[in-house]
Amino acid sequence: MKLRSDLVLRTIGSDHLIVDPSQDMVDLSTVYTLNSTAAWLWEQLKEKEFDTTTIVKLLCENYEVEEEQAQSDAKVLLADFEKQGLLEK
Amino acid sequence: MNITNSPELSQTRYRIADLILEFNHPTHIALNHILGSFRDFQIGIADDKADITINISLEKAPVTADMGLLRTDESIAWGDRFRFYEKEDTFITTIVNDNGNGTWYQYSNRNFERSTIYVPESSAAEQSAVITWMSMMIFGQASLLHETIMIHASVVNHQGTGIAFLGKSGTGKSTHSRLWLTHIPNTVLLNDDNPAVRITAEGIFIYGTPWSGKTPCYINERLPLKAFVRLQQAPTNTFTWQPGLKGFVAVLPSCTAIRWNKDLFASMNTILEKIVGEIPVGYLQCLPDAAAAQLCHSFIFGSK
Repeated sequence: MKLRSDLVLRTIGSDHLIVDPSQDMVDLSTVYTLNSTAAWLWEQLKEKEFDTTTIVKLLCENYEVEEEQAQSDAKVLLADFEKQGLLEK
Repeated sequence: MNITNSPELSQTRYRIADLILEFNHPTHIALNHILGSFRDFQIGIADDKADITINISLEKAPVTADMGLLRTDESIAWGDRFRFYEKEDTFITTIVNDNGNGTWYQYSNRNFERSTIYVPESSAAEQSAVITWMSMMIFGQASLLHETIMIHASVVNHQGTGIAFLGKSGTGKSTHSRLWLTHIPNTVLLNDDNPAVRITAEGIFIYGTPWSGKTPCYINERLPLKAFVRLQQAPTNTFTWQPGLKGFVAVLPSCTAIRWNKDLFASMNTILEKIVGEIPVGYLQCLPDAAAAQLCHSFIFGSK
């Protein structure tokens, strides 16, 4: 899978966000906020083909986290990305 | 003897927020007379390239049955007389005239750098209203390629700096500006509806424009931008600063960019990200009274 290439991660101070412009007649554009780990992962994953294993590897190599915990965190994050439509279709 | 009906063309140029807007129009349309609110922004014709070009045509628009995809029909200014279409590499805006027996068209390329406005069989008053409005819409998009955003705001000039009041239509932006003019010394109006904010090497500036809503306040001046303040009507006056994400979200709904050109939309967000990184954003829940203006002033200018 891949992150949507039209979405740009924005940083203001210590906050991270993504603005997704609504394409409907009525403007229901959405602002997503990301915590610093999710924002860091977004930058690592953008423009790349990846899967759960990629995320687990990134988390284990860069954070002090057990593989089991990283697995479950990666699954939650991916499910969130999927649900919010942030992945390429 | 050949009689040609292609009229002679003239150029009229304006500098708005340090961008050159060029109209090419039939010579017999006295554009500098018709576009009254643009008068202070007019510049001479020089060799440097225009940033935004708009052709004015008195011919009928080359309309085909297929207008493309209807993107929106929402317009506060024109109600149900307005349509906005996307067709291949063109954005098409249509506005039905007052009598309902004719339509004005605007064809723009994807980034709005080049447009043609068709105003056949229209009175000078109609040409003025349509060209003024359509050029605002064009400027709001094309300026995004030049580190500039048009915002929906009422702006006061207090001691040489600009304070931009934001809020939904009807919130009382203009009313709050009036309260500053009356109760805060050394304050005048810069623009009441559509100023432009530009990032420059010398800092972030807010500019008056030829577009100012119902208030004839068309000042060709720029001021260092001091703060944004989002207003909301409330039973008491409360001011809170909105750092980081909150500030971005408070200003975003007041910025101009069409959502159907993702490059322009992303560009708007990039500019806003930079602006909000530098300029403080406040949130004022307020009554329409002198104390609201005084509270707002005291937070921005440091006595609180």
